[in-house]
Amino acid sequence: MESLHPRVRLLWAGRTALGSLVLVGLVLVVDRLFVELPVELALAGWVVLVALGAVHAVFAHRIWRFELQDDALFLVRGVVTRTDTSVPYVRVQHVDTTRGPVERTAGLASVVVYTAGSRGADITIPGLRPERATELRERLRDLAGESEATDAV
Amino acid sequence: MRRLHPLSGALRVGRGLVQGAFFGVIAGTTLVGVLGLPAAAAPLVVPALAVALGGFALARYYRFTYEIEGDTLRVESGVFARQSREIPLGRIQNVDSRQGIVNRLLGLAVVAFETAGGAATEATLNAVDEAEAERLRTLVQRHGETVEDDSEDATAVTDEASAEGSGAEPSPGPATARPDGQELFSFSTSDLLTYAVVSVRPAAPVLLLVGLPLGIDALLTVLEFNLGLVGGRGTVSLSVLDALGPPRLVALVLFTALQFLVAALVLSIVLTVVEYYDFRLVREGDDLRYERGLLRRYSGTIPLAKVQTVSIRENVAMRRFGLATLVVETAGYSGGSRESGQGVAIPMAPRPVVYDLAHDIEPFGDLDFERSPTRARRRYAARFAIVAGVVTAVGYAVDTLVLGSGYWWLLLGLFLVVPPAAHLRWRHRGVALDDEVLATRTGFWRQTTRIVPYYRVQTVFVGRSPFQRRRDLATVTADTASTSSIVGGSARVYDVDDDRAAQLRDTLRERLYSDLLARKRDGDA
Repeated sequence: MESLHPRVRLLWAGRTALGSLVLVGLVLVVDRLFVELPVELALAGWVVLVALGAVHAVFAHRIWRFELQDDALFLVRGVVTRTDTSVPYVRVQHVDTTRGPVERTAGLASVVVYTAGSRGADITIPGLRPERATELRERLRDLAGESEATDAV
Repeated sequence: MRRLHPLSGALRVGRGLVQGAFFGVIAGTTLVGVLGLPAAAAPLVVPALAVALGGFALARYYRFTYEIEGDTLRVESGVFARQSREIPLGRIQNVDSRQGIVNRLLGLAVVAFETAGGAATEATLNAVDEAEAERLRTLVQRHGETVEDDSEDATAVTDEASAEGSGAEPSPGPATARPDGQELFSFSTSDLLTYAVVSVRPAAPVLLLVGLPLGIDALLTVLEFNLGLVGGRGTVSLSVLDALGPPRLVALVLFTALQFLVAALVLSIVLTVVEYYDFRLVREGDDLRYERGLLRRYSGTIPLAKVQTVSIRENVAMRRFGLATLVVETAGYSGGSRESGQGVAIPMAPRPVVYDLAHDIEPFGDLDFERSPTRARRRYAARFAIVAGVVTAVGYAVDTLVLGSGYWWLLLGLFLVVPPAAHLRWRHRGVALDDEVLATRTGFWRQTTRIVPYYRVQTVFVGRSPFQRRRDLATVTADTASTSSIVGGSARVYDVDDDRAAQLRDTLRERLYSDLLARKRDGDA
């Protein structure tokens, strides 16, 4: 089983830090314009959220695993609810690699696998080195194609 | 290329004119007010906007053309942003048509074509006449039958490559009369009424609550009547309530609640009757065809080869009388906010009838359901006990802080319900691995049995929440391409032993491949 690049922890932790900053901003705006709010408390709350986010990121990285098995892409993820997912290669519709601006600065990329399913129709593998992401996408594409060929026999 | 029916074009233009005039009145008065134009300018805006919107509707009507050519449906549309779309007939999952009251009077129908991808209906013809709707439907249906020999339909959702070039040429000639299909099910009036009573809609009380402010006068009359019953005087106001005293207040509340429930039930019955009036299910070759509706008529075809899952629904009352509902799902319909009748093949019939048709659609043996380990039941009991505890705590807080009646301990009675509730939930959940299908079952109030052929399985998820991990349990979800917005999700096996979950997952993966191969081989032979 392969795990994600360690730098993805930084990415995840940074994302929660930025996301929760919005909350602090909201508190500040309300404080300035409408009613007085305890801004110190909001900042303390932010620090707690950031710490939680960091811990979550560390655990998420420790748990995240994926593997190309003989008939399906298999992944294990989830800190609170642990989920393992099997995506049979015949069911793969198409595969994307994506690199958002934040991911680019971190030097990482994601692979997104699409199926025709109704729930969880797209499955993302984040935190890959760009070369690995490209390689994985091509490998998945080949596997999806191959499985269709054996299928026809 | 064909155009929509001229009457529908005229209707749209008329609507455009009226809307334009309406906006014109508003825009005219605001412009005069804001810009200080002479008052005579206002009446000029009205015809200008009316002509603009009416003209746009006319242009849209003339730009919208469609035709079935060979084995594709082509639709050209748009005035400024032009769009042309081609849909291979083999990819069409369902063809539905609906007729509102106006369209019924004019003999028109709105025809919608659904494919598996995308977030909305792929092509909507609004509107064509009934004969044309029938012709289009027959063409799509016939195409399905000719391709059926290649059996590529079985995996149409995923097998992109194999489908190309194998489509036999259908004859796009005018529709010849098909031999009338075999009627599988129809509703008699008394059955429909029974169904309406038995299948209570959970949405009805909400709808009623939303609608209450509209009938405020009627509401006040009813409240005054209620007050009179418990001996109150005069008009409805809070001070009257104060004067009543607790016992009469409780009586008033109970009585009003009862009235509300009865009203909700009546509303639910009316909605169901309007929706399912004159329901008919007919089998035409390899398609199911349904018709229903009192005011709006809905009809559509469901190709059997495209059915993803078959679900059987029974609520408590229906189970008591041995009745069940049959729902078939295809990969069409991706919009979430569809009307609830979607995919219903049989609204209500005796269980054997429902199972017979289900077998017909998807062959499977006797389902032998296996229950979760008993520790799952302990988990449910723990969960319900937590809910009961929270409710009691909240009740205690409200009582001591606000009401002060001292009766909060009555809520402790909730704990008595916990064991039977946990047992019922546990008893009504199960999984059966048949030779051809995976069957899952859940729900006490509304039991749903979901039947998924192995070759339809997409992704398999095994989830374990912290509480499940404590008890070595896991939930297995078999995702399919069917639309599950209404019926409520994919086939799910709740709280099985961890090892059993892994075993189920591996079985599903293996069977997916072996069944796909077997179907391919059958197709080639």
